[in-house]
Amino acid sequence: MQILVCLKQVPDKDSRYKIDSAGTGIDEEDLVFETNESDQYALEEGLRLREKFGGEVVLLSLGGERVLKSIKNGLAMGADRALHLTGSEFQGSDASVVASAIRRAMATEAFDLVLTGVQSDDLGFGQTGTILAELLGWVHATIVVEIDIQPETRTVRVKRELESNLFEQVEIPLPAVLAIQSGINQPRYATLKGIMQAKKKEIKTLTPAILGMQPGDLGSTGSRVDHRRLFFPEKRKQTVMIEGEPEEAAKRLVEKLRKEARVL
Amino acid sequence: MSEEILVLIEHRGGKARAISWEAIGFGQKLAGLLNREMAVVLLGHEVDALAAEMTQRCGQAVLVASSPQLESYTPEAYCAVLSQLVCQRSPWLLLLGHTYQAIDFAPRLAAMLGRGLIPNCVDFRWDGTQLTFVRQVFNGKLNLEVGFKGSPPHLVSLQQGAFSAYDVQSASNPKLVHVDAALTPEVLKRKVLGILKTAQGQVDLTQADIIVAGGRGLANKEKFQIILDLAQVLGAGVGASRPVTDGGWLPKEHQIGSSGQTVAPKLYIACGISGAIQHLVGMSNSGCIVAINKDPNAPIFSIADYGIVGDVFKVVPVLIEAAKEIRK
Ligand SMILES: Cc1cc2nc3c(=O)[nH]c(=O)nc-3n(C[C@H](O)[C@H](O)[C@H](O)COP(=O)(O)OP(=O)(O)OC[C@H]3O[C@@H](n4cnc5c(N)ncnc54)[C@H](O)[C@@H]3O)c2cc1C
Repeated sequence: MQILVCLKQVPDKDSRYKIDSAGTGIDEEDLVFETNESDQYALEEGLRLREKFGGEVVLLSLGGERVLKSIKNGLAMGADRALHLTGSEFQGSDASVVASAIRRAMATEAFDLVLTGVQSDDLGFGQTGTILAELLGWVHATIVVEIDIQPETRTVRVKRELESNLFEQVEIPLPAVLAIQSGINQPRYATLKGIMQAKKKEIKTLTPAILGMQPGDLGSTGSRVDHRRLFFPEKRKQTVMIEGEPEEAAKRLVEKLRKEARVL
Repeated sequence: MSEEILVLIEHRGGKARAISWEAIGFGQKLAGLLNREMAVVLLGHEVDALAAEMTQRCGQAVLVASSPQLESYTPEAYCAVLSQLVCQRSPWLLLLGHTYQAIDFAPRLAAMLGRGLIPNCVDFRWDGTQLTFVRQVFNGKLNLEVGFKGSPPHLVSLQQGAFSAYDVQSASNPKLVHVDAALTPEVLKRKVLGILKTAQGQVDLTQADIIVAGGRGLANKEKFQIILDLAQVLGAGVGASRPVTDGGWLPKEHQIGSSGQTVAPKLYIACGISGAIQHLVGMSNSGCIVAINKDPNAPIFSIADYGIVGDVFKVVPVLIEAAKEIRK
């Protein structure tokens, strides 16, 4: 089983953001980045499938130097090798550009399965894997919470999360692209041994030129949607903020809930 | 009839979902602003009764694609039928609700058409020449205004509840049109084996007057205990955000949000929960919302009635004591 796992690096969840001078993106200085949450679950799922069926887990991440941290961590967790798609021309690319870059990176490989997370915790367009499936002509399944591969028939049964605590069970043929939902497993931590071994693993650098992509295919020029303006949302409600030391604040809150809101 | 606005309906058990009515109302609003035609699209099998009801209620043309292969949803069949329809009618905009179904097929449809999809929109801007959409990004801490590039059709999905202010009007063009739903067998690549519900011991939070909910800020299963303690003193139900159930600190049935329960208690106390949109859709209609979070910029504060910026491990124990006092 040859498995590709796509990882995106996103700012740490507790980040405080500053808007960049163009007004369309965030200022990356002072931010700490981590691997997108659902992608971590996708990676763990890939590792478990390899343990069961053999083969390789190959990581793919697109971005500058900083994404090497996510790649190296994934290799330390047990992935076999990695593809690093990089180049300043990728800046500002939408999901359709990223998906076509991934498809090109896959051209010299023979994967059975591509695993991505359901969506990224930064922009959350939630489309890259599904567009990739269309470009490859493969079947896809999204919001996957269980995978059961039947090697004899080259099919995979997946359980998909629906709204309101409902689930759907479907069977699809391989090769396939699966978008993995958080909670499908408990991701492992990298061990010291894993970290040592990772140092010897291959990270192949793929630039737009190597991938055969032209400047017009890339960045915002190649994109189908356009980021016009990033801004802080307005508050939707008038919130009564209760100040003071925890002791005092908690007491005043109970007081207000009783006398003002009358809900206690 | 080119350059129209098409609104896709999602239905369950013979009824259109609430988000689809919101999409129709908003579609009508846009059609008025942009001076365009609008039509409603319904896919399914034997859905004429629903189609007739929709024609009546909104007075728009309802385009029905009917086929046994559309009885249960598959992305392949939906994409095949909708891409045909779009090629025939070349609409200007295709509006959908941002449901799990749309998450599943809309990006693929957009890719088949070679067009862009702006998902999960909460607002729009129209300046007389340009139409853009606003969506929440970075877990709700920022908003991003997005426009389309290139030629139509454009695809947009709407966040549930965000466009509910646009009531459905009764337009003057009620008609039912059957459109082509021809599907070749090779399109159908998947077998739908069934739909299931989480089985184990149901926790029904919809009846609770008070819910105390905890999130990732509670750090781990042991420390989450203070949430259970507070709930107990208040006689409240216990809710959780996704990371709590993902991590096994609480069973899945306690999850509040788009993939969990939708609740509207009199009082909802959110502790260490950031306020991601998937959580908010499950609880934002609560009567009184209290947020306790160490980050003053956490989006949960934007919908809270009362807020405390502080450490849950310092605030909650005092709350427990104060609540004990009043319960005496
Ligand atoms: C398809 C899909 C479906 C989803 N369905 C759901 C759903 O049904 N329900 C749901 O909840 N989520 C759902 N999610 C996940 C959702 O997007 C968020 O990731 C999740 O709600 C975040 O949970 P959280 O607020 O607990 O964690 P975080 O976003 O990590 O927030 C933790 C918060 O705790 C605060 N904090 C940390 N330490 C402390 C402390 N000591 N004291 C006080 N505050 C502290 C932090 O400031 C932060 O605001 C879904 C996502 C997807 C993609």
